[in-house]
Amino acid sequence: MSVAVDVGGTFTDFVYMAADGSLRFHKRLSTPRSPELAVIEGIAFLGGAEEVVHASTVGTNALRGQEGLELPRVGLLVTKGFRDIIEIGRQNRPKLYDPFFEKPRPLVPRELRVEVEERVDFAGRVLTPLRAEEAEEAARRLEELGAESVAISFLHSYANPQHERRAKEVLLKRFSYVTASHEVAPEPREYERTSTAVVNAALMPLLSRYLQKLEEGLRELGVRRLYVMSSSGGLVDVREASERPVQLVESGPAAGVVASAELARALGIPDVISFDMGGTTAKAGTVLNYEFEVTAEYEVGGEAHHGRIVKGSGYPVRFPFIDLAEVSAGGGTIIWRDEAGALRVGPVSAGADPGPACYGRGGKRPTVTDANVALGRLERLLGGSMELDKGAALRALSELGDPEQVALGAVQLANLEMARAIRLVTVERGLDPSRFSLIAFGGAGPQHAMEVAEELGIRSVIVPPHPGLFSALGLLLADWRFEARLPFPADLEGAFARLEEELAGKAGEVDYFVRYADVRYEGQGWELTVPIGRPARLEEVRRTFEEKHLAVYGFRLEREVEVVVARAFAVRRRRKASLPRARREGEVRERGRRRVIFREGREEAPVFLREELPMGAELEGPAVIEEYDSVTVVPPGWRARVGELGELRGER
Amino acid sequence: MSWELVYRATVFVAEEMGVALKRSAFSPNIRERMDHSCAVLDAKGRIVAQAEHIPVHLGSFRVGAQNALRWLGERGVELEPGDMVALNDPYIAGTHLNDVMLLAPVYVKGNLIGYVVNKAHHVDVGGPVPGSINPSARSVYEEGFLLPPVKVVRRGKVEEDLARVFAENSKTPSTAVGDLHAQIAANVVGARRVEELAQRFGLEALLSGWERAIEYGRLMTLSELRELEGKEASAEDYLELPSGDVRIAARVRVEGGVMVDFAGTSPQLPYPINAVFGVTFAATAFAVRTLMEEDVPTNEGFYSVLEVRAPEGSLLNPRKPAPVSGGNVETSQRVADVVLRALAEIAPERVPAAGSGTMMNVMLGGEWERGYWAYYETVGGGTGGRPGKRGVSGVHVNMTNTLNTPIEMAERSYPLLFTAYKLREGSGGRGKFPGGDGIVRAFRLLRPARLSLMAERFRRGPYGLWGGEPGREGRATIRRRSGEAQLMPSKFSIELEAGDEVILETPGGGGWGGMGEQG
Repeated sequence: MSVAVDVGGTFTDFVYMAADGSLRFHKRLSTPRSPELAVIEGIAFLGGAEEVVHASTVGTNALRGQEGLELPRVGLLVTKGFRDIIEIGRQNRPKLYDPFFEKPRPLVPRELRVEVEERVDFAGRVLTPLRAEEAEEAARRLEELGAESVAISFLHSYANPQHERRAKEVLLKRFSYVTASHEVAPEPREYERTSTAVVNAALMPLLSRYLQKLEEGLRELGVRRLYVMSSSGGLVDVREASERPVQLVESGPAAGVVASAELARALGIPDVISFDMGGTTAKAGTVLNYEFEVTAEYEVGGEAHHGRIVKGSGYPVRFPFIDLAEVSAGGGTIIWRDEAGALRVGPVSAGADPGPACYGRGGKRPTVTDANVALGRLERLLGGSMELDKGAALRALSELGDPEQVALGAVQLANLEMARAIRLVTVERGLDPSRFSLIAFGGAGPQHAMEVAEELGIRSVIVPPHPGLFSALGLLLADWRFEARLPFPADLEGAFARLEEELAGKAGEVDYFVRYADVRYEGQGWELTVPIGRPARLEEVRRTFEEKHLAVYGFRLEREVEVVVARAFAVRRRRKASLPRARREGEVRERGRRRVIFREGREEAPVFLREELPMGAELEGPAVIEEYDSVTVVPPGWRARVGELGELRGER
Repeated sequence: MSWELVYRATVFVAEEMGVALKRSAFSPNIRERMDHSCAVLDAKGRIVAQAEHIPVHLGSFRVGAQNALRWLGERGVELEPGDMVALNDPYIAGTHLNDVMLLAPVYVKGNLIGYVVNKAHHVDVGGPVPGSINPSARSVYEEGFLLPPVKVVRRGKVEEDLARVFAENSKTPSTAVGDLHAQIAANVVGARRVEELAQRFGLEALLSGWERAIEYGRLMTLSELRELEGKEASAEDYLELPSGDVRIAARVRVEGGVMVDFAGTSPQLPYPINAVFGVTFAATAFAVRTLMEEDVPTNEGFYSVLEVRAPEGSLLNPRKPAPVSGGNVETSQRVADVVLRALAEIAPERVPAAGSGTMMNVMLGGEWERGYWAYYETVGGGTGGRPGKRGVSGVHVNMTNTLNTPIEMAERSYPLLFTAYKLREGSGGRGKFPGGDGIVRAFRLLRPARLSLMAERFRRGPYGLWGGEPGREGRATIRRRSGEAQLMPSKFSIELEAGDEVILETPGGGGWGGMGEQG
């Protein structure tokens, strides 16, 4: 049996496929200080498993400074004269008008950055050789300074890694954790590569200890295989994850997009937007022709502006990431009025504790969940085991004015915010969001999805079964993917052949390889990632690149194209859970009626229980469909139908 | 329908125009450095919502939009549906010639309801030097070609003749015309979105929502200023020319708004350091804006609270044809410094000591086996110490926020070998809360080249506050291949040989508070 485990901030979710093909799940509280405990206890509770597939936010939480996950002292070895690249970054400030801004605190303090004499030029030619004694001396100093993990980043090491390799050998005599920049980000741009190496070095002790403890604990329960979801949407093994933990930072959110891509494939809908709304944030990703979009860079811990991370607000990591837009809009997002009396939503969140006022745990400030309760859209959670206090929600909202007016305004503002983030990230790529379907999940996604879709001109919304567990389901549907790259390949096909050979060694069996390249017009300051055929031909690369350039930027140039990075994934298919079919019999039965407030006014809406709805059932909006971990709101003008896989299809 | 929804939706229109512009622009300047801004205006030409990424467009936009509408009105030019005007005359558009502005009316059912407008920095708009920022210009005519507000789109059709003139005056014609088309596309998207808003909310709700949004901006601004009411202060600071110092003086008074008067500032000069009034307004708006919470709306409500006066014929409100290209990059920095210095007296707990105050513009170029090469970069410095915490090291301050060029990319494209890139330790002014450190950036030429520098703060370091010491002055050193070192002034042009090394050291920020107060 294969069990998927998604470790979130509040809950750890377990999903598995029972022998009869049905999906089963289990939920328990997370144990943030030692996240492995909840995983091990949960697997024990389920009676063990053969294989565990796992997504975790341990890396992100540590970088965001979570208690109990303190980062180690990281040392950095650099080329002489270039000690502060990690601190200067790209020399921009993350905020334009705030004189009290801070840049993200460098993960290596200045005293732990040690310079050594060495220099390689852009073509990889050695200008100044690295002396072994100087490397030894640097290693000794770093040890004295109390470094626990060390990163090495020399200029142009992507072109010639010889010096970094030699330094690593020397450092390994004194340190268990050493990251050479060319191993995690073999590509040009010294700040981004150094930052990637440093983030990796910072996570290495923590993640490898965590994974080791987890592996040991699970082994006792009979688990034979443990895999981890990487930010690029594929599974990697524990060894790869421990050596390059930098690829785990967005592990959890990636799973939701993988699940969306698989559901899209199963339903035969090639282009979808995944819309994942939980307690604190909403995240959107695009799936084009059944493939999720991968980007080459991400800033960990950064701040978002209209869905995109503000450059310089976090720690850049050059590694393939599933491309996600994120806004601070979740169920727990606080509704307030500013000093000029304008109604505002977010970015502050009430979190899980005390949470929304309607939870009755002492939360006094109204949240988006309270607004949904006030509007009659939401009444209970967790299959009725958690009743929500509507009186408390109304009281909190009435601090800001007429509670229903405030609630309606706030929900519309939150929807607008989410819709605009989705619009900007699709428009950015030259795509028209209105031709996509929206796959909505996360606890709060189905409450808002159809109204968000209206904002975007989208006519089709899909709510998968168990929307609250959909991300975890993505883990059961993911393939293994190992990544490798080479900068400025002179012989393109030769480079890919080399990468694939290297990957085959690492991954063992491989079903197929996927090739990408980061390509630009010569002299351009940025690249586009394009898929590459087999054999790789420069003419074809040029054509694909120019097509994408035209789609994304609206023009082409009469200029040479240049491959900056060649990148390959080795993919090994997993035997996947097939999504269970919906029940066929049963009748559509109203469970009750309640008054729900929409933009159009008050409506008497019938309430249904999702698990009672058979395949083919059709409902006219307004309607409310309740289930264990979520509620789907069908506004007036929408119709919902239960599809073959139990998905709800909203259309208008 | 709540006006908040109308307002946010209008802000998003401006943001989406920015995305459309960035997406289809040719030049990295717009795409990577985001040197562009977009706005939605009401029928009176007042800014309802603005998306801006670079502070120098803050407010200069307002001056530009109103000048352009007045200019058109005076000449009886009517903007019909589907029309669009383009302009770059700094004396109308409000920034330097490189910033090309496009303005389009929005009609709903035959009624003019507002405008959409955008401005983007073009790489080259003609003139004798690549990039059009000409350190030797003695008049605006030596900085490129001038475009008054002329129709570049007529009833939805691009005026190709005009586009050709525009292109052929640039040293990079395909980029120029590509960026112009991107700007047209952004306005088309913006106009369409505003029409959609009118449809969705109803025209009446949209227009009253805009009215409320402007009032909201005014109320937010006033509430941020309330505790400063009745205070006033003066300050002065200097720009450097070989012939001597150039004075910038300001008197700031808070009384139902912020009044800033630059009387006492140097008369205009035949050097490209004059700042057109739009830039003066922008730098002032920037300084005032830093006093406030981040989410004060950038709209007419905020701008209307500012009253900026600069004597006609002065450095900060020159008469045509004074040259102005450096007004954006260096003078704007000092205007912000001076206004902030006065504001420090008025709101001591909200204003830091001076930041580096120069963009350290480096222009390099020459012939080599791969043809002619040209390279431009700017180097950040330290910010001033702040009430309660030290300054930040190695960032751009005030009016700019552009990225550096990665060394590994620069060395691949140009005959340069970098020898240092690090913080300039000890350059931040000492104090209770010390200033941030500047940067040391040094490189060796691998081929002969011509180097030009346009910088500031070489003679007088960024000021400290309340007993804090000034930041260390900037410095440029040329170490010849022979080993001989030469200290350079802040503005020069020189021929270099292969093997010569250039060492640039940017100013640190000033310190805040006296050393004695240190804990």
